[in-house]
Amino acid sequence: MSQTPTTPSTIIDLIKISKTYHPDIQALADISLHVCQGEIIFLTGASGAGKTTLRRLISRIEKPTKGMIEVAGLDLAKLPRNKIHLLRRKVGTAYQDFKLLSDRTVADNIAIAMEVMYRPSSYIEHRTRTLLDQLDLVKKYSTRAGDLSRGEQQRVAIARAVANNPEIVLADEPTGNLDAETTARVMALFHQLNRQGTTLLIATHDRTLFEGTSHRVIELRFGKIRSAANESPENSDELIGELEEDLISQESEQ
Amino acid sequence: MRVLYVVLRQTCRNMLHSWKSQCMTLLTVSLSVLIFSFFFLIYSNALHIGEKLGDDLRLIVYLEEEAAPPLQEEYRHKILKFDQVDRIEFVSSQQAYKRFEQMLGENTDVLTGVPVDFLPPSIEVYPVRTLDSLSRITRFSDYLQTLPGVLKVQYGKEWIDRFYAFIQLMRVIIILSGALLIMTTTFMVAHTIRLTLVSRQQELELLRLVGATNNYIRTPFLFEGALQGCIGASCGIGALLLLFNWITLRFAGPETISHMPFIFFDWPIVCAIIGIATLLCTLGSISAIRRFLHL
Repeated sequence: MSQTPTTPSTIIDLIKISKTYHPDIQALADISLHVCQGEIIFLTGASGAGKTTLRRLISRIEKPTKGMIEVAGLDLAKLPRNKIHLLRRKVGTAYQDFKLLSDRTVADNIAIAMEVMYRPSSYIEHRTRTLLDQLDLVKKYSTRAGDLSRGEQQRVAIARAVANNPEIVLADEPTGNLDAETTARVMALFHQLNRQGTTLLIATHDRTLFEGTSHRVIELRFGKIRSAANESPENSDELIGELEEDLISQESEQ
Repeated sequence: MRVLYVVLRQTCRNMLHSWKSQCMTLLTVSLSVLIFSFFFLIYSNALHIGEKLGDDLRLIVYLEEEAAPPLQEEYRHKILKFDQVDRIEFVSSQQAYKRFEQMLGENTDVLTGVPVDFLPPSIEVYPVRTLDSLSRITRFSDYLQTLPGVLKVQYGKEWIDRFYAFIQLMRVIIILSGALLIMTTTFMVAHTIRLTLVSRQQELELLRLVGATNNYIRTPFLFEGALQGCIGASCGIGALLLLFNWITLRFAGPETISHMPFIFFDWPIVCAIIGIATLLCTLGSISAIRRFLHL
């Protein structure tokens, strides 16, 4: 399947997306959103505003009722079920409910994302240890995921989402259960990935994550985009420059 | 290689995860293969024995009078018209007398004063030694009886009838045990894989979410079915070999048994049984995947 992106720099393109659940619950209404490669976007809004639905549509867990979605060059409406893995390999997702295998170790939970890509065992182990080190979880390498605290589980879910260095990371409330220090660690990891070119879409209630940031903040209310602060820079170089400054300031704060 | 390694590791994980039901399935497959192959072994040995006994099998067609060469040709033609035979021999009264004399050995004096042509001339018909020809032998005998100038047809009717009934019974048992094998292997494997699928639903869902292909998810379950079939059938055949050795050792003494040419399956048959069981289990696995694994 050869599909080309809408524009070279657009990685997520949502055009007039609506999603209605049975019987008549409108989760999203006429949403249009263009995300450039290397952007960080904060998605905020009250519970039930449509953040999770938007994330589910982007990772093709659900299909929109109306509208068109293109992600990483793939037209999701034309993507057959047996090709969904092509999308999922480009989009790493940290779920709000973590989706961890509680009877498996932390390492196994992270490795599963790399195993499906047939990565060598040595690479998987090295990458897992590096991520756990960055998220201050290296001591939990062999601990069963079910025995971790919620904050630790959240970090394991994030580690799994970013393990394959995906083009896009969708994070649903990634810092909901974390203290300030751990939140900073998670954000540092996100910024490091972003510096490498990863696009991040972070759904959060935590205003401290985006207050004062130059990144776009999109507020959803009742399934519609209520406001979009800090519009996307036209020039991607400009964008990357801003992101790097952000990371440097974050790291110096730590 | 990497793909095969990952798939095999996933298969082992699946099997270890539900090891109790895996053991039950292996036991069931082994027993089914053992039952089927046991009767099949008896059947194939019976056929073998039948062939050996059939060496002496002949139909003796007693004639009213000596058949001249043209009449012999006519008889030959009519016999061959009914069935294929190994050979046909015409025995004159004098030849029959000589044979009888040889049989008596030192007691030939009992024939003193008996005319040389007191025995009737006959035709000895040696049927082809196949099970089909054995099964048709009664009809063949009836047919020969209808030929002109025939006094009587004689053959080992009793043992052939018994042997044929035994072979028929064995055929029925083999069909039934074969059906049992098919049902148990496919059903048990399908059931075990369904249990695995249900117990690992969360993991399968996660695999889809992290970008696993359909084949990545399905193949370990196919391997699981195939392994159950292969291991189960190998255990069943192994158990049969042990039983066979035990029987041949245990009953090596009695003369009747020692004269019977009992043999175990050849390698191609062993491989075929294991292959068929593996195929059946894989089919069971495919049916479970199709019904319960929704990707």
